[in-house]
Amino acid sequence: MTDILHKGQAWLSEKLTRHASRLVTYRRGELETTLTATIGKTVAEQDTGDGLILKAEIRDYLIDTKDLVLGGEPTLPKRGDYIIETESGVSHTYEVLPIGNQRAWRYSDPFRIKLRIHTKRIGE
Amino acid sequence: MSLVLNIADSIVADLNAATLSLPVTAHRLYVPNFQLEDMNELRVSVVPRELQISSLDRARNQHDVDIDVAIQKKFKTGDAAEIDPLVSLAEEIADFFRLQRLASFSAAIWSRTEHRVLYSQEHWDQMNQFTSLLTLTFRIAR
Repeated sequence: MTDILHKGQAWLSEKLTRHASRLVTYRRGELETTLTATIGKTVAEQDTGDGLILKAEIRDYLIDTKDLVLGGEPTLPKRGDYIIETESGVSHTYEVLPIGNQRAWRYSDPFRIKLRIHTKRIGE
Repeated sequence: MSLVLNIADSIVADLNAATLSLPVTAHRLYVPNFQLEDMNELRVSVVPRELQISSLDRARNQHDVDIDVAIQKKFKTGDAAEIDPLVSLAEEIADFFRLQRLASFSAAIWSRTEHRVLYSQEHWDQMNQFTSLLTLTFRIAR
């Protein structure tokens, strides 16, 4: 039986990857891969616990689940992985981290075609 | 100069002159306000918190000055090799002032140390960030 919703989601995902994505490097330890990612929402976060203010830029990346392959093995994101985005010759490093009570990543659609990965900027 | 600021500055001076297990450059701040990307190096912040004045004798008051010392560093894995030295440094700083007068302001006598946050679980969970917070109390009679 044809699942029209699944097909539609796959079509949308392919369009997003083709027309609204940029190349990023995904790194875990010594392993890394280059893949296309769509930049999702980017917001600022502030933690004021104990009078110590700590701010971070939060950025979500949308990537195709099938593209996340490290060391030849398909994998899923892990807290502490890095996504490196290069813009105008400057590299920006983001770390995969949870946001509030959400974990660091989730599937972006019911068919697990895309991953939504939460990151925080940790430097150039 | 304000008594509180004098004590805070003296804590900074004593810390920066101390030989500790990790190299420390302390700074006095009113409000520690950092970006996560600035935390890749060890940061020690000295922040005035509170002043309590009470009667000591017929001619003098007792001034208890609370100063926070925050020890912060972003970690990669959070394993013992990375975190133990930071926990040790926090304890070392607490020990460094215990039972002492401030070297650069000898009228101020150590009174109490409270390790208010051994490590912030929220910063750990949300930022992969080690944050430890000591409150030092120094007493001066005047």
